[in-house]
Amino acid sequence: MEDHNLLSQNPTIGYVISGGLEANLNVRLTVPPQEVQEGAFVIIDSNHWRFYGLVTDLRLTAIDEQYAIQLNSQRFAPHLAEYLNKQTLFTDLAVMPVLMKDNGPDITSPEYPAWRLENTDDPAPMPVKTIPNHHAPVKLADQADIADIFGEEDNKTIFRVGSTREQGHPVCLNLDKFVQRSSGIFGTTGSGKSFLARMILAGLIHADHASTLIFDMHNEYGPDTTSSDTGNAVFGLKGKFTNKVRLVGLGAGTKFGNMPSDFNLEISHSDITTEDVLQLTQILNLKETSATTLDKLENDFHENWFNEFMKMNVGGVVENEDGKMEPAPDSVAFWARQAGIHPGAAEALRSKLGRLFNRPYLIDAPASNGLKAIITALQDKRHVVLSFGKYDSELDYLLVTNLITRKIRDAWEQSTEDFHSGKSKVEPRPLVVVVEEAHKLLNREMASQTIFSTIAREMRKYYVTLLIIDQRPSQIYDEVMSQLGTRISGSLGDEDDINAVLSGLPGRGGLRGMLAKLQPKEEVLMLGWGVPMPIPIRSRRYDQQFWIDIFGEERKPKTKEEILKALGMSNDPD
Amino acid sequence: MNEEQTSIPIGKLMRAENSQFVAGCRVRELETPALGALVKVTLEDQSQIYGLITNILINDDSLVRQLVSGVSIPTEYTADNRYNRNLPVEIHVLTVGYAQNGQISHRLPPRPPLSLDVLHLCNSNELCHFTSLNEQAYLRHILRLLDQPVEELLAAHLRQAKAAHEDASDPTWYPLACQKLITLLRDDYQRLTTVLDVLTELERE
Repeated sequence: MEDHNLLSQNPTIGYVISGGLEANLNVRLTVPPQEVQEGAFVIIDSNHWRFYGLVTDLRLTAIDEQYAIQLNSQRFAPHLAEYLNKQTLFTDLAVMPVLMKDNGPDITSPEYPAWRLENTDDPAPMPVKTIPNHHAPVKLADQADIADIFGEEDNKTIFRVGSTREQGHPVCLNLDKFVQRSSGIFGTTGSGKSFLARMILAGLIHADHASTLIFDMHNEYGPDTTSSDTGNAVFGLKGKFTNKVRLVGLGAGTKFGNMPSDFNLEISHSDITTEDVLQLTQILNLKETSATTLDKLENDFHENWFNEFMKMNVGGVVENEDGKMEPAPDSVAFWARQAGIHPGAAEALRSKLGRLFNRPYLIDAPASNGLKAIITALQDKRHVVLSFGKYDSELDYLLVTNLITRKIRDAWEQSTEDFHSGKSKVEPRPLVVVVEEAHKLLNREMASQTIFSTIAREMRKYYVTLLIIDQRPSQIYDEVMSQLGTRISGSLGDEDDINAVLSGLPGRGGLRGMLAKLQPKEEVLMLGWGVPMPIPIRSRRYDQQFWIDIFGEERKPKTKEEILKALGMSNDPD
Repeated sequence: MNEEQTSIPIGKLMRAENSQFVAGCRVRELETPALGALVKVTLEDQSQIYGLITNILINDDSLVRQLVSGVSIPTEYTADNRYNRNLPVEIHVLTVGYAQNGQISHRLPPRPPLSLDVLHLCNSNELCHFTSLNEQAYLRHILRLLDQPVEELLAAHLRQAKAAHEDASDPTWYPLACQKLITLLRDDYQRLTTVLDVLTELERE
């Protein structure tokens, strides 16, 4: 068991003077207020309990308001004013208690053996159910305290995402817990959201406990890129995890600068279901009648409905035996009449689907089954970055993400059922589906139609979770937001976005201010089910050092002489 | 030469209670006692009671009243009345501590001094010693006074004690005393600011 009474290395910064579980604890600060920041992680020792809390506010107070109102230094001799101010003017902290831990009596005390008998497990932090005593000393958490709560970095599952703002102690995220439920990374443009996402994805791939499928709408994650702010090179995931990551380009010929894709994804017409099209109702401006028409198409042509519908022409007529013009046999109207559908509705649908028919990556008979290759790669513990290349319109994004994710859902549901029924002994590989610009797929209107809200709500039991990356969390459907286990947010300016990130969490009032005041590109707030307690941190840098930390010291390329020497071909007379 | 010998007798006790007592002296003896000065009375059992002079009272009598209402008073009448009258000058003392078996306490003594016990003015050493004990706890007794100009008494006492400590190369006593006063009075804004005003005035002299 760890050292028991745990004298923190940090000095006392104040003592508890009032408060409660509901109203937060009030702590009188005994050091200058500038030594503590909003969001600081503090510990409070009271009897043999240790409480862990978060500073949510700092307030100037006075024994009597009049001492604060007058300028004491002008009225009294300087040293008298100094003494007076010291004794009558204070700073109080509002501390939100979050966790507590029973450390038991002192290990040398006579009560200890009896306590240990009753408490055989090492003490673990639990949510607060009581409060510390009056005048309990308050300290900034030191490195050991933070490791106690957030875990100690192991360069695998316990992944360092940043450090505390005051003293720079490492703060880690348990990636196994992170992928157990859907999660979100939020922040306005320029808040460092993409770097944060890259870093966490790198951590996930390195830990390799879950596969990741990244829908890379802006071609940011796979290949190496250049930072739009600094102009410096930014390493992509493919370059660093060459064997683990499959780089997939949408459509034939999609390239990533000098980096070739592992394979390209072309989708067979037969893979497109009417459900996929219905999910595009809004963007294709489909009418209410479209559902009926699509239903009929599927009834008549089964999996070939897309191909068959595409082949039909609009407005084609032929002259019949009576000399009258009537719809040609290969026309939409002809089929509609036979199917008992209003020809006008069918023709309107046909013309609206024209936008899909001309997508070059949707072809009748692709050379290879890209969809299957993606699923196989993910099941084989690889990670897939699907780059949209030049097909970066909303329509492409919605269609392809929905279609692939539906396939994945089917595959993972099947393998989970096989596993549970004993048909298969292999537990399904956990999968994280990474969705950028998530509000396009998960807004209030779309959420009911796309597959993603189902994943966020129900797919946890089928080993599939989402990682949502977005700048407008307020646009994401509330029900989806409330399902997110871990939320990591950079600075957000909009009040609605801040509220959305905090939705469904306790202590929102205190966290709101913290979120609003995060420093762009530098700081993020981690909160939610996946982290033991909310904490604002200075985020880890995604740079050369990051990769050295992950993979160990970078190997320098050998010189020509060294290579020759190693081969026993040295010119050196020795 | 012991401390008793260097302490100056300034009067004899007339009446006393645990928290305060009154000594009397002749007008001729009135040159040494001053407002705020530390004084002591040694009892028969050699214990000592310490106090601060809070007031010096010169009472009237019927003769003074007649003289005051007369048109002109011959100089010899004034001198006679002042120096030969049988009415003593009253020195009011606030008890601030006691010493028993050489141990000084800043609490009230178990018993008051007795009548005709001699009141002595403490010398500098005694003043420094008494005032630096117990984190200047004796100052709380001064704040008990209700019908006295407390701030003036404090200023008078602190000025004397500060000078004594500084002469004894202890510049830290006065800042500590100020902090103690602020601690004792910080819940009474009006009173504390008046005291600090007086101390500021004292320091700017």
